[in-house]
Amino acid sequence: MKLVIIGNGIAGNQVAFDVRKKDRDAHITILSAETVPEYDPCSLPYFLGGECGRTDVFRKTPEDYTTHNIDLVYDSRVVSIDPEAKTVTTHGGGQISYDKLVLAHGGDLFIPPIPGIDNPGVFSCKQLAETEKLAAHNGSSAVVIGSGAIGIEAAEALKRKGYAVHVVELMDWILPSLFDEPTARRLETALKGYGIHVFTGEKVLEIKGTGEVSAVVTNLRTIACDTVVVATGVVPGTALARTAGIDTGRGIQVNRQMQTSVPDIYACGDCVETIDACTGETAMFQLKHNAIEQAQVAARHIVGEKTRYLGAYAFARAHFFSTHAATFGKTQRATDCILGDKRVIEREDKNNYLRVMLLNNQIVGGQAIGTFADGLGLLIGAMWRKDDFMEIAAKVRTTPRGGAVHTWPMLRLGNLLGM
Amino acid sequence: MKLRRDHLSIDPEKCTGCRRCMIACAMKHHNRIDPDFSCVDVIGFAAQDLDVPVICLACETAPCIKVCPMNARIRQASGSVVTDTDVCIGCRACVYICPVGSPRINPATGQTMTCDLCADETEPWCVAACRQERALTLCTDGAASKPAARRAAARTLAGSPRY
Repeated sequence: MKLVIIGNGIAGNQVAFDVRKKDRDAHITILSAETVPEYDPCSLPYFLGGECGRTDVFRKTPEDYTTHNIDLVYDSRVVSIDPEAKTVTTHGGGQISYDKLVLAHGGDLFIPPIPGIDNPGVFSCKQLAETEKLAAHNGSSAVVIGSGAIGIEAAEALKRKGYAVHVVELMDWILPSLFDEPTARRLETALKGYGIHVFTGEKVLEIKGTGEVSAVVTNLRTIACDTVVVATGVVPGTALARTAGIDTGRGIQVNRQMQTSVPDIYACGDCVETIDACTGETAMFQLKHNAIEQAQVAARHIVGEKTRYLGAYAFARAHFFSTHAATFGKTQRATDCILGDKRVIEREDKNNYLRVMLLNNQIVGGQAIGTFADGLGLLIGAMWRKDDFMEIAAKVRTTPRGGAVHTWPMLRLGNLLGM
Repeated sequence: MKLRRDHLSIDPEKCTGCRRCMIACAMKHHNRIDPDFSCVDVIGFAAQDLDVPVICLACETAPCIKVCPMNARIRQASGSVVTDTDVCIGCRACVYICPVGSPRINPATGQTMTCDLCADETEPWCVAACRQERALTLCTDGAASKPAARRAAARTLAGSPRY
């Protein structure tokens, strides 16, 4: 079997090495657009901030590929797929034939159409080459456009490097897709406490300067700076699939076995559109754990095992300096368009904050800052099991002294929710 | 189907909440008598007079390995999952995703720590400390099959259909 994998990210490597574990003879080729072995994009902000070395970013070494007999082809971007002839064409013009093809090229950084965005003083923090450029850049004042997880982590890293950091967010609060306003406002206050300037509800109109950045103009102010980091999100790379005649929605559409609409072509990782494991809705969570699980399913199906993908789930953490926050499931804003009996449980204790969203007495999401976050896994479990909130409350109320130790997860949930 | 390699078997019914296991763990791994340095967390429910030792169960599909941004959570040959202190940056992703919240924070470094089953000992120190109560016992590979464990759980009446 000739297996060709497009993309040398987390998903692509997981497929390659999982298939190799089960099939010694398969001919496996990974086509990488970059020139390094697999690295973890999640580590890049910490590499930027100097919390870890460059070697710690990598998940594989070049030797791993040779010992597992996997062909890793650097610097070969795939420009087209011919599903009839079963070949892919790279930007150098080379043609590679396949028996099974895996699309794991992930997402592309969304570059907003702002005048001056192609200035050499504008960086991103998604790919290693870009991050290295940013790490080597000497500046003193930085503007981070966008306050998603990458934006906040990049802001922390630059602050650690001694920059004056400004975060500009278009939406009303920071981390808008992960947190609700009350949680985000608390995180914003914490960020400001560390000396990072945060401007929400502001739109960047222009990046000024020629050859180097001199200022960023928003609709409310002009911020003098010499470095700009673009962290405005990642869009799934669907163009390649669409031109090959593969069905796409927001991402590449796949079934429960990660097969696309075209036979013998699989897709996994940041570029696919999957379902939410808890609700069954179409969802896109471009998160590492989902990429790994999707790749494991694809690999098992490629080697002929029976398998079924359960679905993706949202879990993310925001961590800067000594503030720790985490979120899972839906935000309150995401539940706004669902009919049902909704309730929000909030707990606050000094700097710690907990917010749990209930829909029809079932936990559908939650956010926490500080010590309350330590028990977040229990809430995630309750969400997966669809525990009834009233039942938990009843258990906490009725468990007698010294009895029924098996109720402890419910008791712990009850303690966490302040019942 | 056999259970995967060595693991700790926890019987909260027998736990008296003495916390000797926590002291033993801190002594073994950090050479100090301080329950904050223990990988075991004995959670007390005062109102119900219950104590439950929470330890890393080294899940077969451990979510902490997948969510760690630094790939610091590593499955060892013994089956346990431990934090690589060379690369851990203390972001606590593993704590938040853990279904039982078992990773604990080392107060000195801010990194997480979980049970490594005292890999270099014949018996984990917490198990030795709990020899009288037997709330913590070591199941070695082949010592317990899943059906046998199920039957044993049913006998203690602690088994619940949901957990």
